[in-house]
Amino acid sequence: MTVATQVKQTLASLKGTQAALQQMATVEEKQQTKEILENSTRRMEKIIKNFESRIKVMEFEETQYKGF
Amino acid sequence: MPEWLNVLLRSAGLFIGALFTARLLGRRQTAQLTLFDLIAAVVLGVIAASISLNLISLINGLVALAVWTVMAVGVFLLSLKYKAVREIVQGRETILINHGKVLEDKLMEAKMTPEDLISKLRQKNVFQAADVEFALLEPNGDVSVFLKKDKQPLDAKTMGLNVAQQTVPQTVMLDGEIMDEPLTAMGLNRNWLHTELEKVGVAPENVFIGQVDSTGQLYLDLFDDAIQVPKPKAKEMAYYTLKKCQADCEMFAHSTENQDAKKMYAHSAEELKEILNDLKPVLLK
Repeated sequence: MTVATQVKQTLASLKGTQAALQQMATVEEKQQTKEILENSTRRMEKIIKNFESRIKVMEFEETQYKGF
Repeated sequence: MPEWLNVLLRSAGLFIGALFTARLLGRRQTAQLTLFDLIAAVVLGVIAASISLNLISLINGLVALAVWTVMAVGVFLLSLKYKAVREIVQGRETILINHGKVLEDKLMEAKMTPEDLISKLRQKNVFQAADVEFALLEPNGDVSVFLKKDKQPLDAKTMGLNVAQQTVPQTVMLDGEIMDEPLTAMGLNRNWLHTELEKVGVAPENVFIGQVDSTGQLYLDLFDDAIQVPKPKAKEMAYYTLKKCQADCEMFAHSTENQDAKKMYAHSAEELKEILNDLKPVLLK
């Protein structure tokens, strides 16, 4: 497994958990818990953005690993 | 009128009367009866039984019944309004142990022997009087116990644990029937429930109890106990996947040679660690 595929896998996991947390946040009634969940998804959003730009760089450097 | 018909009519009438009198006397639990309540209840019962069996004349009986009911209700209403009346009728609580020391004169006042006291303490799971900081005899005869700080059960606060706030789980299915009201209270609907049931492969008729917790996870108990229902693991899954992502970031940070990427990965790992800390009380119970 190349580094690029590993990074892509991690990105996929990140996106998956972010979606799961978002779903919990929408159903949650307690304001405090809801805020923790929403806050976490927002912070994860930044990490996901970073990962996506990093993958773009990797794909540019080594074109053969482009795509999933 | 034959004797038996007389008894029959009186009994039926009193039965209905008793139903209403019981309502009049209030909704207080029988477990909380004070001595006065108990006396009133017994006297009313004896009078009603005597009338019913024709032991006393109907008029006398009804008058006695009325007086006792009115007085009892009157005293009860007065005691609701005035604290002084309440203290006479219901009695006051007596402090039996204060600052870890048994107050013998108070014990005498409450007509309790030392055996009574330790027996009451044992019923509260306290086998050593020295563990008690404060104990109080309630008006209904129960003893309430406050343990010394080091003997109190451990809770999240004394442990310094951070725990998430939780709302009460809603019961959305009972006996195979879907309850719409709690579902809508959670902001969910039948469609959602059917999808969730399909996910675990369970027919709605087979569900005995179905409850949804505050994060929308469905817990089921089935009629058919041979079927194993997978426990909802979405929260735990989310937590551990995130943890794996965090470990991945650290690994990437170590293995890459590009300085910018190294910094980005390290920062992400750090950030994820903080997020995991925040989420731990929410996701892991």
